[in-house]
Amino acid sequence: MAKIKSRRIGFRIDMTPMVDVAFLLLTFFMLTTKFKPPETVQIDLPSSHAEQKVPESSVLTVSISDDNQYFMGVSSQQTREDIFDRLIAPVLAEGGMTAGAVADSLQQFRLTESFPVERGLLEQYIMMARISNQRIRPVVRADMDADFQAVDHVLKLFKESNILTFNLVTVLEKEGR
Amino acid sequence: MGLVDAPNDRKSGRKGRRRKRIGFHLDMTPMVDVAFLLLTFFMLTTTFSKANTMEINIPPESGEVKIAENNVMTLRVVEEGEVYWAIGEQAPQRIPLYEEGSGQEAMMLSEAMRQMLRQQTGANERLVIVVKLSPRAKYKYLVDLIDEFNLLAIDRFSLDDFTGEDARAVGLSGVNTNHQEL
Repeated sequence: MAKIKSRRIGFRIDMTPMVDVAFLLLTFFMLTTKFKPPETVQIDLPSSHAEQKVPESSVLTVSISDDNQYFMGVSSQQTREDIFDRLIAPVLAEGGMTAGAVADSLQQFRLTESFPVERGLLEQYIMMARISNQRIRPVVRADMDADFQAVDHVLKLFKESNILTFNLVTVLEKEGR
Repeated sequence: MGLVDAPNDRKSGRKGRRRKRIGFHLDMTPMVDVAFLLLTFFMLTTTFSKANTMEINIPPESGEVKIAENNVMTLRVVEEGEVYWAIGEQAPQRIPLYEEGSGQEAMMLSEAMRQMLRQQTGANERLVIVVKLSPRAKYKYLVDLIDEFNLLAIDRFSLDDFTGEDARAVGLSGVNTNHQEL
């Protein structure tokens, strides 16, 4: 009995394998994590039973907040630059900005996930995104309390730009039927 | 805990300096603590899921399809979450879109509404549903309706503008129907 007890005192476990695994997992999660960009506006998505996923690349997101404000975002950098060069830069230059300041705001715009767009200008932006990338996948992210009128406006613009397939973002309905 | 033990064998080298290195212990506990803290953080904050979407296909502007009037069911949805449904030129009948009293948080359409859809689509295979949402109706109504259509495997439906005529048909007046303004 006494012998067993004495063995327990000051014992060591080799934790190296556990630490190895822990670091492996840590590296994996650190490298795969892509932080959600801070949302410009809070949007409560409506729920549905649709299980299709958002397209992976070249997504054009039109968000509509609950007070019917429009926000737009494009995933591809090329399209972002095109939109900036053709639509935003001229406006900034006209407003008296120097070339350097415009270049600075382009840098910032490259990192912007979504930006507010006025209702009247939405058409230009959608058209430009469409011209910049023919295979753009439009996605509508509207708040469930947004007016149908606001959403309908976007659907009509899609139709005018000859975008006939698009997605409505929803969250999966939890309760069963 | 968390110690690194160097093997206790002696190799040749400069005596004075190497001596200290032999059989040393490094306490790795703080490092392991931090590593696990970060690991837990990243594991809990990572979400692999992507948002779900409904795919919508709309017909091009030009295409026009002629359908017999009694194969058309018009659903007029008004702001308050009520549906007026009519087949052909029948007088519209009122059905609540959601169960009474469930308010904005309602997850699914009312039983009456679903039963009506099931009955009507079952009775007429060639039924085409035209959904007209009033401009002030909520986007949620649209999504819930499309979701219900998808569940009932109804693929013949379309969206149309809610005109002043529709407002009169459901007994509303003074509804703002200016779609293209602003």
